[in-house]
Amino acid sequence: MKLQSLMRPWAASLAVAALSLGFGGLPSAAQAQDLKHYDSTKPDFWKHPPPDWFLGDETAQQKGLSPKAGPATGMTEEEINAALKNIKLPKGFHISLYASGVLSARQMAWGDKGTLFVGAFGVGNVYAIVDNGGKKEVKTILTGMKMPTGLAFRDGALYVADIDRILKYENAEANLDKMPAPKVVYDDMPPYVAHGWKYLTFDKHGWLYVAFGPPFNIGLPPSGTSQIRRIDPDTGLSEVVALGVRNSVGGDVDPRSGKYWFTENARDWMSDDIPSDKLNVISRLGEHFGYPYCHQGNLPDPKYAMGHKCSEFTPPVLNLGAHVAPLGMKFYTGKQFPAKYKNNIFIAEHGSWNRHQYQGANITRVVVDTKGKRAKASVFASGWIKGKEDFTGRPADLIVAADGSMLVADDWAGAIYRISYGK
Amino acid sequence: MPALRPPRRAGFFMRIAKLLAGAVLAQAGQLHAADVQAGKVKAQACIACHGEQGVSSMQNTPSLAGQPDGFIQWQLVYFRGKTRKDDIMGPIAAALTNADIRDLGAYFSSLSPPPPLTDADPDTPRFARGAKLAQANRCSTCHGETYAGQQAVARIAHQREDYLLKALRDFHQGKRTGGGIAAMPDAVYRLSDEDLQALAHYLARFQ
Repeated sequence: MKLQSLMRPWAASLAVAALSLGFGGLPSAAQAQDLKHYDSTKPDFWKHPPPDWFLGDETAQQKGLSPKAGPATGMTEEEINAALKNIKLPKGFHISLYASGVLSARQMAWGDKGTLFVGAFGVGNVYAIVDNGGKKEVKTILTGMKMPTGLAFRDGALYVADIDRILKYENAEANLDKMPAPKVVYDDMPPYVAHGWKYLTFDKHGWLYVAFGPPFNIGLPPSGTSQIRRIDPDTGLSEVVALGVRNSVGGDVDPRSGKYWFTENARDWMSDDIPSDKLNVISRLGEHFGYPYCHQGNLPDPKYAMGHKCSEFTPPVLNLGAHVAPLGMKFYTGKQFPAKYKNNIFIAEHGSWNRHQYQGANITRVVVDTKGKRAKASVFASGWIKGKEDFTGRPADLIVAADGSMLVADDWAGAIYRISYGK
Repeated sequence: MPALRPPRRAGFFMRIAKLLAGAVLAQAGQLHAADVQAGKVKAQACIACHGEQGVSSMQNTPSLAGQPDGFIQWQLVYFRGKTRKDDIMGPIAAALTNADIRDLGAYFSSLSPPPPLTDADPDTPRFARGAKLAQANRCSTCHGETYAGQQAVARIAHQREDYLLKALRDFHQGKRTGGGIAAMPDAVYRLSDEDLQALAHYLARFQ
């Protein structure tokens, strides 16, 4: 395959460029010839791939769609409070602003003494939110990192995953104003930024579950990617627990069974409606979830199925919908919500970019047994999509608070929300 | 204005930082939406280097007039978070609140961008080489058909030629990453320094 678009006439390129700016979504036969695609068969390609490559080869149908950058400084309190008025929740539940100015907020973790740690996407910050007599103070405790999206807390130490390293900060809560020098506890990690952002989940034995996404939309995954490992940060040892996983930025250990469940973002550019993003559970060590051969449990990839059948792979517990972008997820272990919510899974859906009418951007509730059977999904909180292709917020992670309320991290608004019941 | 950069007067920039910090106390916090007029007041700290109307006449210093609001804001956030490292902009951005950054984005994006550079004696081959490189490397995919930028992506049309070259070289040498999932280092990886010079030449003059 050749980089055909390099040879296109100037005028045609301009037409393509205009479409790719987000005005587009008007495919036609003429434009179909100018679809971007990439030749990754040369080893050098991997050292410095083209900048827009990881999003994937375009298709005529989805041409012109691109991820939205979002507001650099998040949303103001006024804007957030106005947006929260439009959020729909089941009767008896309330949502309110917990903290603003938490730019690019991603995974959250509680410290032992009640500090809420929050990771971030490209701004390179890690935050600590502390309670000052009822008022939430957001401290930026780490800066200048690559993409510290994932973090976890255990035995007084904060663990931060920054693309290709997992760092440990001892006695973190006592040192929020001057974080100690970190220790690198694990660095057998590929350097790819694309899908290199992480989510960290401790099991009760102190192993960290970490997904390693492939650095592209679809293809044969480079070594060490498209898998989930569990890592012992004390020894630096790790093992592969799942294969065939695309981009997973959320997971939790089932309090009932100890099994690891995870969300997974499916490939782009097939259409608005396929393939579906997934909720999975690891029932057997090392099982294969299908990527890149098979999507949504029943859809062979048009190019990369390569003779494989979907029946060879572990199907999802649940298909969540196309381009809904399920990220952070948690089992509800609190006592504030009504009893029927106990051990339900809550999923923060980040919402679409590769779809003409955005969907997702909500909090989805899944009721399911420990074996992954009788799964039922419903929308728990919604209302963050504005028009066809815009947002007033994008849920990225969830965490249960000590009082049983649930916090939501929103990397679009740069904010944390609190969802409570009754009071 | 003579070529001043890199300035050695650290005190000057600390004063700017303090001035900014003072100017923003009244507007601190996350409460206010962007305000062009407030941005104009705050931008008094920027114009010594970036020019009276955001059009720079200082060597290696970019014009900010007409840059996309999102680009101005993201870069200030990156400077503040130290993901984009610069000895001068780092300390200045450290003093900025989110409200300041919104106001500055609103102000600079409201100004008229600089006109294209014109030459009495045009270097036609170099211009043509730059045009070809811009097309082959698909600069317009992100920077827009007229290179005016969009969302978080910079306006590169009619930027100062020396600054365009500095930015391209910084990306080429891995001194700058672009932040987030932007990948300018990869975009320029295959280009020679002569290519970078031709691109800067072309983009400063593109009509």
